[in-house]
Amino acid sequence: METSRTPASGAGQAGTTPAQEERVWKAGRLEPMPIRPLPDAPPSVHILGPTVFLVALGVGMGESYMWPRLVLLFGPEIRWLFLIGVTLQAVVMLEMARYAMATGESIFFGAARVFKPLMWFFFAVAILVYIWPGHLSAGAAAFEKITGIPWVVTACVGLVLVGIVFSLAKVIYNLLENVLSILIGTLVVGTAIIAAMVGSWQDLSSTITGMFAFGYIPDEALSPTWFPVIVGSIAFAGPSGMQQMWYTLHLRDSGAGMGAHIPKIRGLRHAGEEEAMPSRGFMFDTDNPEEMRKWKGWRRWVTFDAFLLFWGITMLVTVSFTVLAQAASRQNSNVKELILAGDREASLNAMSDSFSSAGSSVLGAVFLGFIALIGLNATLGLFDSFSRGQADMSYHFVPGAKKFGISKLYAGFLWAVIIFGILILLFGPADGPGAILDTLAFLSTFAMGAYCVTLLLVNNRMLPKPIRPKLYTNLIIGFGAVFYLGMLFYSLFKYGVVLD
Amino acid sequence: MDRARLHAEVALPGLLIGVIAGAMAGGLTLLAGNSGAWALVSALSLAVPLGLLGAGYGFLLGRSLFQPGVFAPAGLYWLVGFPLARLIQEAVTSHVVFGRVALSDELLFFLAYQAVVSLGFAIGFVWLHERLAPHWFMRIARHNPVAHELLERYIAHAENLWRARERRRAMRQGEKGAR
Repeated sequence: METSRTPASGAGQAGTTPAQEERVWKAGRLEPMPIRPLPDAPPSVHILGPTVFLVALGVGMGESYMWPRLVLLFGPEIRWLFLIGVTLQAVVMLEMARYAMATGESIFFGAARVFKPLMWFFFAVAILVYIWPGHLSAGAAAFEKITGIPWVVTACVGLVLVGIVFSLAKVIYNLLENVLSILIGTLVVGTAIIAAMVGSWQDLSSTITGMFAFGYIPDEALSPTWFPVIVGSIAFAGPSGMQQMWYTLHLRDSGAGMGAHIPKIRGLRHAGEEEAMPSRGFMFDTDNPEEMRKWKGWRRWVTFDAFLLFWGITMLVTVSFTVLAQAASRQNSNVKELILAGDREASLNAMSDSFSSAGSSVLGAVFLGFIALIGLNATLGLFDSFSRGQADMSYHFVPGAKKFGISKLYAGFLWAVIIFGILILLFGPADGPGAILDTLAFLSTFAMGAYCVTLLLVNNRMLPKPIRPKLYTNLIIGFGAVFYLGMLFYSLFKYGVVLD
Repeated sequence: MDRARLHAEVALPGLLIGVIAGAMAGGLTLLAGNSGAWALVSALSLAVPLGLLGAGYGFLLGRSLFQPGVFAPAGLYWLVGFPLARLIQEAVTSHVVFGRVALSDELLFFLAYQAVVSLGFAIGFVWLHERLAPHWFMRIARHNPVAHELLERYIAHAENLWRARERRRAMRQGEKGAR
């Protein structure tokens, strides 16, 4: 880091503000970041971190339905695409964390430092893609199958409960982390037992061999019917859409790295106790070897999270559900037909029925319970993350928004999305208007390519040189941008279909 | 209260997580279309070893051989323990149901596969233990010095976090005042 005391301008320069003679890091045209001490990294590789949110958001329909479906269709060799998708997401996660931990700012703020319209693009995409309550349907439908309570009722009650709980919580992060941790812990232990009993070394070796069958694309996959499904499945391997970007807000709220200098978001009832949110993040002294030692500690911590927790759990859940789908289709050929036909709810119900007929009705309920659990995790995580992201961008960049405080903005977005969700569930199409469904699917995947480009710009231009990503990391993220955008546009121009 | 009982109390959360995880095996056995008796044997023969191993984890935690929430030693513990528990389950179930000991795979392949899966199990186990155990220790700390000592470690960790947060808050307040 340059430590010149002359105020500097332009992207990525160290300098001082004349009034206080305080050392600052200038990144882009926005307010410079004051230099502050970097807190110590957690002393050991501690298992509980903000990755719980990414796991909760990421382990969804991609893992429990889309990939098992592709394996039934094209064989285990198709899983090389899953390996690429999830590994790419693990690297993206590390790079998202790089900016958030170095500055205490979200990636949205970083995008605004590069080019403000880039941030507004993500603001608009989030609203367009995530206000539709369609993601509630799979979990609530599974719950209906178990209890008989109509899914719309469950979904509406669930929405209101989510709003009340998040509004009453003193510190939202703590509550959410506790609830999600128990749910995810149960899911992980359960799937490990399933994998241990149902799988074998041969299954594992075929899965692993399949994961390294690089380049395997059967002819029927290159068709207007299946290619968009494959692109969609890759995009949904791990966290999809904007979930990785939201992860930077969770990192900040958990106090990781320089996030320690930023206060936490509170529930509406406790919004009055909120500390004022600083108007920008902070930077640490990258010339100081002691600070760099601490930085390396933080990087080790987040790398552990990315590869053991995120990558490991996502793999474990997908392999287990794939094995389950194979078992169900062996017992009942109808299941395979339904899965191939692409009706998600019918397929999941048929899988449950096949388990019920094989054992007892309790087993079908257990299976659906798992699906409902996954749906609940995703819903809790999505609503919170969406509101967090929009509140963060509004607070910093909408004129006059600061006077409300970030906790009230958070509550505003949360209740707006809940009320809109209930209205749509009662009167409208849950996934969004049919006419724009393709556009929404396009935007969701396009955002993933766009955040790879944003990451390259933010981390290479807005951070001091000693903590910028290495060349190979840049190459991987660059590959990610080409991969997501390339497949999306190829699907669009070659087959005229966005993704499925 | 004698020492063994104190440690047994501390080991309870691990025991419970292990037993519940093992009991899931019964459901899976039914799922495979087998009889209720088979499922019961399958559940018991996994729940008992996993429960004991879970309790062993809590015991070693109480003896300070493991640190709360630190993954690597727990991962190694289950790398050995989980395949053993599965081996016991397979051996007992096949012996009771078929009258002879048989594994679903060759012994080495069987153990190797279970060892790979143990990593996932270890993550879930430590994850749940970290969430549930401190609440239990709080309840028993008054009469149980082992739990009290463990709870103090958790409290010390929480206090460190709290002090750091207070320092940061003071720093932020100072900054606000300066502006």
